[in-house]
Amino acid sequence: MSRIPPHKIGLYGLLAVAAFIALFPLLWMVSGSLQSLTELLSNRSFLPADPQWHNYVTAWVQGDLGVYLRNSVLYTGCAVAGILLVSSLAGYGLARLDFAGKGVFTFVILAVMIIPAPAMFLAQYKLLISLNLTNNPVGYVLILITSGVPMSTLIMRGFFAGQPRALEEAAALDGAGPLRVFWNVILPLARPGLAAVAVIQGLGAWNEYLMALVLFEDNSLMPIQRGLTAFTSAETPQQQILLAATTISIVPVVIFYLMAQRHIVKGIGAGAIK
Amino acid sequence: MTTRSLAVPASRRGHALRRNVIGWAFLGPAIALVGVFTITPFAQAILLSFQSWDGVSPDTPWVGLDNYAFVASDPVFWASMRNVVFFGVVGFVAGNGVALVMALAVNTVVRGRTFFRTVFYLPGVLSVVVVGLLFSFILAPGSGVLNRLLALVGVAGQNWLGDPDVALPVVAAVFVWFHWGFGFLLFLAGLQDIPKELYEAADLDGANRWSKFRFVTWPQLAPVTSIVSLLTLLAALQIFGTVQVLTNGGPGHHTMVPTLAIYNEAFVNWRYGSAAAMSVIFGGALVLLSVLQLAITRRRSRI
Repeated sequence: MSRIPPHKIGLYGLLAVAAFIALFPLLWMVSGSLQSLTELLSNRSFLPADPQWHNYVTAWVQGDLGVYLRNSVLYTGCAVAGILLVSSLAGYGLARLDFAGKGVFTFVILAVMIIPAPAMFLAQYKLLISLNLTNNPVGYVLILITSGVPMSTLIMRGFFAGQPRALEEAAALDGAGPLRVFWNVILPLARPGLAAVAVIQGLGAWNEYLMALVLFEDNSLMPIQRGLTAFTSAETPQQQILLAATTISIVPVVIFYLMAQRHIVKGIGAGAIK
Repeated sequence: MTTRSLAVPASRRGHALRRNVIGWAFLGPAIALVGVFTITPFAQAILLSFQSWDGVSPDTPWVGLDNYAFVASDPVFWASMRNVVFFGVVGFVAGNGVALVMALAVNTVVRGRTFFRTVFYLPGVLSVVVVGLLFSFILAPGSGVLNRLLALVGVAGQNWLGDPDVALPVVAAVFVWFHWGFGFLLFLAGLQDIPKELYEAADLDGANRWSKFRFVTWPQLAPVTSIVSLLTLLAALQIFGTVQVLTNGGPGHHTMVPTLAIYNEAFVNWRYGSAAAMSVIFGGALVLLSVLQLAITRRRSRI
């Protein structure tokens, strides 16, 4: 504290209070997940007297978390890969190529961003029924990719537009076709843009809940968010077990956040401003 | 469309065709996905709102405006619309207010800036399910930790989520806790983009802190403010999972929100037609709001 100038003590007080409010629920969750039920309900102290690590084992086994987490990793990975591929192609097309109907395509990509989920999820469900893709990972991933594409396309378009043209032109002079140029020259250079899109869409896909709720019936196919609510309603687990399950569910995303923070900040900025 | 004129030699026409095909190939996957999974359902939702469907049978008979008449007299839906206006106002005022104040605070400190930025956005990476579960425990009437904390300072506990008078503001407060970090990050980035020279010039003019905020920070931040406002408002209006897990719209319908009402109407009551009518009314209102906000922003930036 000694190095904080006196006139800033009030400011740091405000920041500390805000940090406490932001962190307290999470710290309480971790603490509660390590208590016995009696200790938790008596609420005598905030730290577990005798940490009950086996709560995590119980949560993992009872809640089938291994299955849900595996599904979430799979769906998130596929969704992010799909979004990166589709949106970098489209973003490059809009930024660099010249073709008939470009204005219309740009308008469509912009316009669909305005259509909100509440207006669509019902009809998306109906559409997937007719395609025989409900309760099906492919249907879910296609929805995830589609919902990420418009914003990511705009981010990638902005990214490509800011890149120098020299390399592509050199590659084109060497006789490389547009797809080769794109794959071998453009994409490797686009890594910072791709990283921003990947982290932001990865978080979104990992945390998606509405479509997972609507589409999945089989527990063995559910992603973690849907699995958590299925666990809560079907098994009525004890509170400390559910807290342990919830803690397990956020470990991947918190680690990811702490590691990729810089990209996340950039990605959110790019997504919002574009 | 000059390439189609007869004066153009065949080789150049072939070249233009090739160029178009390449462009379409690059845009193809994006347009196909959006066309099939966004635009088609959007159109289908409108059609479905004039039909009757139980979610199973292949028949969806036309019922004219029946669904809209049903929704118009549905107290649950209109309660949800009133509640969501409240969420929108609280999210907009409190959420953006906290976000801006904290961004200004973090921007003035040097020590600990990364720590505070990291912590403030941390709730934002959680899912609606996690936030809902967590706060349903924290706010529980008997053993909830909030009531215990309040008891320590001699304040009587409340049935935060069960009392019709307090449930709505409490859920709104949870939304603000969850969501303010998003606006905070954007405001902070916006503050860091303001050229230092502007503040130096204001110093030379002898401006005090307030006039620096009023005449430098606020106008420079305007583009960020308008986009943050719109996105926070849209997020608040589309709130679903947090409410479903926390209160499921209760007590009564005191915390019901439109997206949950649409979900229940379809997947609990098996009335997909009237659910579609609700989603057309509510979705249409959201689209209108976005278009209006974008038009206002565009006009302002032109001046």
